[in-house]
Amino acid sequence: MSASDAPGISRRRVLGLAGAAAAAAGLAACGSGAPESDSAPGGGEDGTFTVYWNPGHHYEAYQKVIKEFEEEHGVTVRMQMYQWEELETRLLADLQAGRAPDVLEEPGGWAQRYALSGDALSLRKYLDEDGKAMGFPDDWQPATVRHNTHAGEVYGIQLHMTCQLLVYNREMFADAGVRPPTTWDEVVDVAKELTHDGVYGLQLNQDQAYGWPWMLQNGVLDYNHTTKKVMQPQDAAMEALQFQADLVHRHEVSPVPVPSKDYSAPQKALSAKRAAMIVTGPWDLPVIKQSSPDLEYGIAQMPTGRRQSTILAGTSMFIPKKAPRPDLSWDFIKRLTTLETELAATAETGMLMPRRSWAAKPEVKGNADIAAFAQGLTYAEDAHPQTYLSGKGTELDQAWKTLYQSVLMTGESVPSAYREYTDTARAIIAD
Amino acid sequence: MRSPAPRAVPEARRTPIARREARTAYLFLAPALVFFAVFFYTPIADILNTSTLTGPHADRFDGLGNYADAFRDPAARNSFKVTLLFAVGTTVGAIVLGLALALLANRQLRGRTLFRLALLVPYLTSIAVIGLLWQNILDPQTGILNRVLDELGLPTQQWLITHPLATIVAVTLWMISGYTMMLFLAGLQGIPQVYYEAATVDGAGPWRRFFSITLPLLAPTTLFVSVMAVISGLQAFGQAYIITGGGPAKQTDLYVYHVYETAFRDRDFGYSSALSVLLMLVIVAFTVVQLRAGRRGEVQY
Amino acid sequence: MASRVAAYVMLTLACLLTVIPLLYMVSLSLQTQGETLSGGAVLWPDSPQFQNYAQLFEQAPFGRFIVNSVVVAGAITLAHLAFDPLVGYVFAKFRFPFRNTLLVAILATLMIPFFVRMIPLYVMFSDLGWLDSYQALVLPFLMDGFGIFLMRQFIQPIPDDLIHAARVDGAGEFTIYWRIILPQTKPALAVLGLFTFVFQWNEFLWPLVATSDETMRTIPVGLTRFSEEHFQLWHLTAAGSVIAFVPTAVLLVLSQRYFVRGITLTGLK
Repeated sequence: MSASDAPGISRRRVLGLAGAAAAAAGLAACGSGAPESDSAPGGGEDGTFTVYWNPGHHYEAYQKVIKEFEEEHGVTVRMQMYQWEELETRLLADLQAGRAPDVLEEPGGWAQRYALSGDALSLRKYLDEDGKAMGFPDDWQPATVRHNTHAGEVYGIQLHMTCQLLVYNREMFADAGVRPPTTWDEVVDVAKELTHDGVYGLQLNQDQAYGWPWMLQNGVLDYNHTTKKVMQPQDAAMEALQFQADLVHRHEVSPVPVPSKDYSAPQKALSAKRAAMIVTGPWDLPVIKQSSPDLEYGIAQMPTGRRQSTILAGTSMFIPKKAPRPDLSWDFIKRLTTLETELAATAETGMLMPRRSWAAKPEVKGNADIAAFAQGLTYAEDAHPQTYLSGKGTELDQAWKTLYQSVLMTGESVPSAYREYTDTARAIIAD
Repeated sequence: MRSPAPRAVPEARRTPIARREARTAYLFLAPALVFFAVFFYTPIADILNTSTLTGPHADRFDGLGNYADAFRDPAARNSFKVTLLFAVGTTVGAIVLGLALALLANRQLRGRTLFRLALLVPYLTSIAVIGLLWQNILDPQTGILNRVLDELGLPTQQWLITHPLATIVAVTLWMISGYTMMLFLAGLQGIPQVYYEAATVDGAGPWRRFFSITLPLLAPTTLFVSVMAVISGLQAFGQAYIITGGGPAKQTDLYVYHVYETAFRDRDFGYSSALSVLLMLVIVAFTVVQLRAGRRGEVQY
Repeated sequence: MASRVAAYVMLTLACLLTVIPLLYMVSLSLQTQGETLSGGAVLWPDSPQFQNYAQLFEQAPFGRFIVNSVVVAGAITLAHLAFDPLVGYVFAKFRFPFRNTLLVAILATLMIPFFVRMIPLYVMFSDLGWLDSYQALVLPFLMDGFGIFLMRQFIQPIPDDLIHAARVDGAGEFTIYWRIILPQTKPALAVLGLFTFVFQWNEFLWPLVATSDETMRTIPVGLTRFSEEHFQLWHLTAAGSVIAFVPTAVLLVLSQRYFVRGITLTGLK
């Protein structure tokens, strides 16, 4: 083949090739016509209002309020559904890219955490203006206000407020001739009575958050920001851990929890009549009714260790500092937290709400299930009141998860697991 | 026989033909080069840069601080160890199972296409679905497996607690063995039948034939399978993300999952970038070593 | 003969082991929500709930998820079929400066976990204003080192004489590729097309992060919609997974006759 007859590439071919190269990109581009380009959290000039939300909380009661909000402001609300973990992944990706949604729901503690890192908007301006009219803070349970306050400023408004109590199978209790336990000793005794052929007396949850009611009942504080100490007092912490470990390994009244990302195993066991008693919140009640309609469940208050306690849970809403239209975001929050909306959401789902005036309503007091949990709210506590101040809340929770799993699942001895935990936690805090 | 590697010719001595060939090559390559530069190497440069930063907003320069931390961090060391075991387990398992299945499915059996397709099916399903499915099956209390074992009068299992790492290795093998079987099948069909005939004439039995013909001639396939399996084993994520959450007590804390948690739970993008860079170096090292070893072990016929 | 029976038995067992768990997914997809949450490990539902499949479309824009998945996985697959053989051909048959360096640079991308690229890509697409768009879902996956390697291995054994002869006949370079090389790579293209489609069809992390609008979600991400805060809606998740599986199964059957040949000839053997 000589140089002269070796054909080069003709212009036409070059164009053809470039066309082929563009084809895929073009295909992608024309396909994107369907939804209006970028929904732009952070853009904001277009008429969409972006909310990150949990798919389990997309209640009819809220949709009605949201419709009114849309009409009033002439915007389209995009409720973008994420499970918590994925919601935070998306939020952090947004913050890295210098953008943010208009408002978001969070599972507890994030408002403080993002306030500390400078990514959440202080609500002071809005509360100065509207606080009185909406009854904030006086009509909110104090714990829910503390839970959303950082350095004296409020960053989030509680949306739901729940707690964990004992939910049990009435028939099994009657058959065994026992009553719900009120002390730790009784927990062991009752659970032993209830445990027999394939039925466990008290099934513990694999999720580490479910270890906290017992820790709180023993007065354990996981992080003290003044002293920088973790998991104190030590003897109380070890005692509470040993108590849980014993339920699984010594008394064998709970199966060994299985690590997963799901908290529903105890509920399933209760529904299947393989567990007589579990620790859970009001969210499991509709599930139990649906999965085993014939099961008569009872709700009992948490027993007392050194004191009576349980964990406070529930979601809040906060506005990122980079939110494009904070005034609208605030109005959105206000509308979702009126007493009327709270009551509608409760009627629809049985969820508990943070307003005191909500708890005083006859429809709340008259519903035995809700009333039981509402009573729990009077002594429920934030499990990690100071932890976010370390700036290492999630790392400390990871360390706690390892401690909880070591003790409950792999059967490591409490003293050695506790020592490992404190070593890890100290290193995290010192970092 | 391998032809000597083409050596780059100094520009001045290039013939017009060579120049034209080079021009054509680059023209054809242009979109790919742009693509890899934009969507792979720019992000990598970005990660290298971020790996020198620290703080929740990754905005403070910290030099090599993150790398120094990585070598001191027991959690990182643990997840590296876990991942190494996972990668070795899945690689060895994928080779053994894949080869065994290929030997079976390579025989002249009626319906072998159906067997092959059925075995490949799990590989085509997403790890998200597979993870949820197996979690559902394996749950000691509410899972279907224990119900079946119980009804058959067999002892029940709680493998996710007693052997968590082995369990996710097994689930992964369930997923990928069909694929490695296909690769080995292809390898088997590339072995000329005459070798076997000759060996049979020489009186070699089936084991002898396997060890002296099949195995050596499959070496390139085995090498390819092991390189790919190690790479994907070291990058595994979904098994921890979907099934175990890294537990119990970090026994399945796969490295990429650990890095993901560092970035998106602990919000330490600088440190997570440094951990990512270290992983890439490890993968490169593994690959180079495997290729070297494979080349040395190659048998020439 | 005995060994033949043994082979049958073992293969059948292996197939049962792979297929039964997937059949269990079908069973889950036909159970009532109560049955999936009952903790009773229902093997097969008393009365199969075919309406679960209809519910998918009522409770979420599932049709939209399907369309998105088809568009995204389809576009990426086409891009791979367009580019991977061309690039593989260049590396197999051309000599040019930095050839080996470039090949190594491309193959090295196989060693980069996707997760590593995620944040930089997110920032890039955010800056372009392209989040929640097909561009964002498609562009980062237009080509990959595996496809290029596969095609290079496949094309390498094609005799150079064919190419030289065509050049002598005055064929243009692209014509040579299009008319002579590409038609011979069909089995490899089938393998490449199947795997590319399936991987993209199942991709989770990037669509999760790059889209927030429900109308832009793909099936795997859309399925996360069927989880409540504290439990999974198993019957719907399983039904969605079964639907998601259908196209991959169809592609597998369509491409199966090329399969072993496709892999054999790539020299991966």
